[in-house]
Amino acid sequence: MSDVKIDVKGLNVWFWDNHVLKDIKVGLKPNAVTAVMGPSGCGKTTFIRAINRLNELIRGSRTIGEVYIDGENIYDKEINTYELRRRVGMVFQKPNPFPKSIFDNVAFGPRIHGVENDEELHKIVEGSLREAALWDEVYDRLEDSALDLSGGQQQRVCIARALAVNPEIVLMDEPCSALDPIATAKIEALMRKLKEKYTVIIVTHNMQQAARASDFTVFLYLGKLVEYGSTKSVFENPKSALTEKYITGEFG
Amino acid sequence: MSRLIDAGLEQLAKMLARMGEVAYKTVSLSIMNYLEGKNVHNQVANLSDALISMAEEVEDKGFELISRFQPVASDLRILKSYMEISYDFSRYGRYALDVSQIHEMLDGIRGCEGWIRESIEEMGEKVLSMVGRSVESLKSHDAELAKDLSETEEQVDNLYSRFLDRLVEEAPSKNRCTISSVLVVRYLERIADHATYIGESIVYVVTGEKVTLR
Repeated sequence: MSDVKIDVKGLNVWFWDNHVLKDIKVGLKPNAVTAVMGPSGCGKTTFIRAINRLNELIRGSRTIGEVYIDGENIYDKEINTYELRRRVGMVFQKPNPFPKSIFDNVAFGPRIHGVENDEELHKIVEGSLREAALWDEVYDRLEDSALDLSGGQQQRVCIARALAVNPEIVLMDEPCSALDPIATAKIEALMRKLKEKYTVIIVTHNMQQAARASDFTVFLYLGKLVEYGSTKSVFENPKSALTEKYITGEFG
Repeated sequence: MSRLIDAGLEQLAKMLARMGEVAYKTVSLSIMNYLEGKNVHNQVANLSDALISMAEEVEDKGFELISRFQPVASDLRILKSYMEISYDFSRYGRYALDVSQIHEMLDGIRGCEGWIRESIEEMGEKVLSMVGRSVESLKSHDAELAKDLSETEEQVDNLYSRFLDRLVEEAPSKNRCTISSVLVVRYLERIADHATYIGESIVYVVTGEKVTLR
């Protein structure tokens, strides 16, 4: 297995005149949790949205540079973005289940991708809910509305929904910021489990979460990549004085 | 705007600087009086006890800062190092106490041959200068001064080896047994002490209670 899953080369993103990401170069490892941290407005969310080309859905966005997943440039003209976003799933800050049953939320993606067989759908839904560590809590009420679940459970429905289409990469944009500490701990434990099968990238405002839950850390500041390294090295002995100042709370 | 952790780190630095002064005083008192043949055991014992209490205070403060502020990077390195240094200062006190105890038991080195006295004087002088410089490097956070300690440490190591070699060379076989056994019982006693330190740590891990098993 290659030691780089996502190879970002010379990535620049603008929204109108605002140069949000500036010449980002980084190789992110497979089967690891990578945390992207930095102060508000540094380009964290734009960075992960460049990995499944979500930025281009926003008016005024312009992207230059390359992002390779397993050696394939996802910004090539031939790339099917629909298929790309299946391979690169995303979980958002605020749990956003559809106003449907738990089952239908998780089955949504597979159905769109043509899975019609009930038995197969059930298998996918159960497997995804198990992977999202939610099955034991909901197996007897799959037809209940997902909106009736707690915030933490809703977020895990969203994770199961992302997993149901068999992605390779899971992007999480501040997945715990709306959750209480217990639900946060469950999602963090889940990240650890998910990395065995997937490549997990999380955006987090919470530095302690980056320190706890990730294997590698990217530090962005004013749209530039300041530091990338093992979480241990970034939090124990950062190379950049700017990283040092940010993580010790001297600014931010 | 200073950070919440800064007040704690400053307090810790002050505690440690004060501890360094006491540690230097303790070692100095013990060595100088050993060389001059004065018994200062009680004084050194009091200072050594004070150093142990101060090390406990530093450890408590360090724990508090870790649990309340989850320090990282330089803050974390400072805390780890300060807690280790406070232990080292308390060891300075303990070894000073050992020296004063030996003086009390065996009446120092007044009756020893000239070369022995000279060797101990030379070694004592170098060691005391190292203690002073270690304290100074802590206060000033001077990495160059800290690195310079290595050179004198090598000199002290050489003095130690040469001293033992000559002692063994000149000693009749009966005295060799004395030298060998004195050195070894000392280390055995130290290992036993460390076993109890580990025991104390485990009691703390399991019960949260701080006990003294020595």
